[in-house]
Amino acid sequence: MNGGALDLLDDELARARAGERAALAVLVQAHQRAVYSLALRMLGTRDLAEDLTQDVFMQLNGNLTAIESNKHLGFWLRRVTTNRAIDQLRRRSRVQMTSLEDEQAFFSAEDDADPLLQRHLRDLLSDLSPPARAVLLLRYQEDLDPTDIAQMLDMPINTVKSHLKRSLETMREKTLGMQSARCEDSST
Amino acid sequence: MKKCSWPIFLALLAPALAWAAAPNPKLAIPEFAGLAQKATESVTITLDPALLAMAGRFLDGSDPQDAATQEIIKGLRGIYVRSYTFDKDSAYQQTDIDAVRAQLAAPGWNRLVETHSRKTRANVDIYIMIDNNRAIGLALIASEPRQFTIVNIIGAIDLDKLHKLEGQFGVPKLDIDLSKTPTQGAQK
Amino acid sequence: MSQEIESRIRAALRPVAPSEDFSRKLLARVVADRPGRPKPRRLLSASARPLAWWLTASLAACLILAVGVRQHLEQQRVQQSGLEARRQVLEALRMTSQKLNLAYQAVKNQSTSLTDEESGV
Repeated sequence: MNGGALDLLDDELARARAGERAALAVLVQAHQRAVYSLALRMLGTRDLAEDLTQDVFMQLNGNLTAIESNKHLGFWLRRVTTNRAIDQLRRRSRVQMTSLEDEQAFFSAEDDADPLLQRHLRDLLSDLSPPARAVLLLRYQEDLDPTDIAQMLDMPINTVKSHLKRSLETMREKTLGMQSARCEDSST
Repeated sequence: MKKCSWPIFLALLAPALAWAAAPNPKLAIPEFAGLAQKATESVTITLDPALLAMAGRFLDGSDPQDAATQEIIKGLRGIYVRSYTFDKDSAYQQTDIDAVRAQLAAPGWNRLVETHSRKTRANVDIYIMIDNNRAIGLALIASEPRQFTIVNIIGAIDLDKLHKLEGQFGVPKLDIDLSKTPTQGAQK
Repeated sequence: MSQEIESRIRAALRPVAPSEDFSRKLLARVVADRPGRPKPRRLLSASARPLAWWLTASLAACLILAVGVRQHLEQQRVQQSGLEARRQVLEALRMTSQKLNLAYQAVKNQSTSLTDEESGV
């Protein structure tokens, strides 16, 4: 690690652009989790998510030369995934969020999982319009700033902020509703 | 009014969104190109979420060090390290690091520890960013006569788990209590 | 309150991994796909076809072997990169702990000298 910077994935990207398939495999491995998670939470089912994930990476294959850095690659993958998901959802009248057997795969199974919040979140996601859903996921799953989200979705920044505001207000009401119900139970 | 209703009432009156002022634990670390050329050894580690996910897959759960590392990086979204070693004292200026220090004066960062050692002539400053009583970012600046190191860790840092690395990496217990205001005085 | 909900949403929306089976198939398909490859033209006459079948079979066998070798090399490469990422994580945490230890030593030495002063040493 002596001398200049070592960004592993930038190196792999350069190799992939030069035609090294093994390097492409490394990039797919590194980014598939983010792409798949976005696809799953946008489209609601594992099958659709897997199809979209595959399509996105196949599209990447044909566009490698346009990708300048690993950071650009991350941006490109998220943009293509969300825009393609939005297009798919607009063609369907209503998204079917996961069946019960898929529910466990929808959220990560961490020790600090909050099943009630997860349920409210899933309900919220299915109620949101596709662009609003994309905004919520890009903000809280991918940690993007509103400015980046606006650029990615080609959306005015005020629209991004408005989507986030309404989503948070809805979540706050749902979780407070939960709390209120608990208070009433404990007072009787 | 019922006892439980007051928090709900106040919360509903609360301002809509605080995300615009949401703290960002990711530091903008300069390139240090000039210093890198002078250094006898330089370390640049950039581990974004994709690389952390990849690394996690290759950590061996049956090995105690790897298992402890897996636990640490589970909630992390980035680890960034820059370290430069020189062959003589005072080859770098404190002003070189000031651009990073200035960011730690921003709201959200709390100085946990500031140490100056006459024996080793090492200064170590540790900052934590806290959100809802959880550490979401750590920044460490260590400057020694012939070396300086900047570490920025982003994500849900579990300081208890960091303590448990004692013996694995030689990490000492720092007796950090998050329930207290984390602005320990300097020990000059 | 807003920040608390945001934290909880972030925690709930941590990325999830696809199944191992899907990952394997995805890798295989993406890496095997070569956009813009020209379609082969028919070059042989009817009388040359039996020989062509043997040639085709032999070529197919070589291709399968080559694909197998390539997949093996690719897996090796993925493994190399994964191990390199692991090494960097360990190195980053090692350096962090080293500097934390410096801070600890400084605090400990300060506490020791304060105690010595108080006891008149």
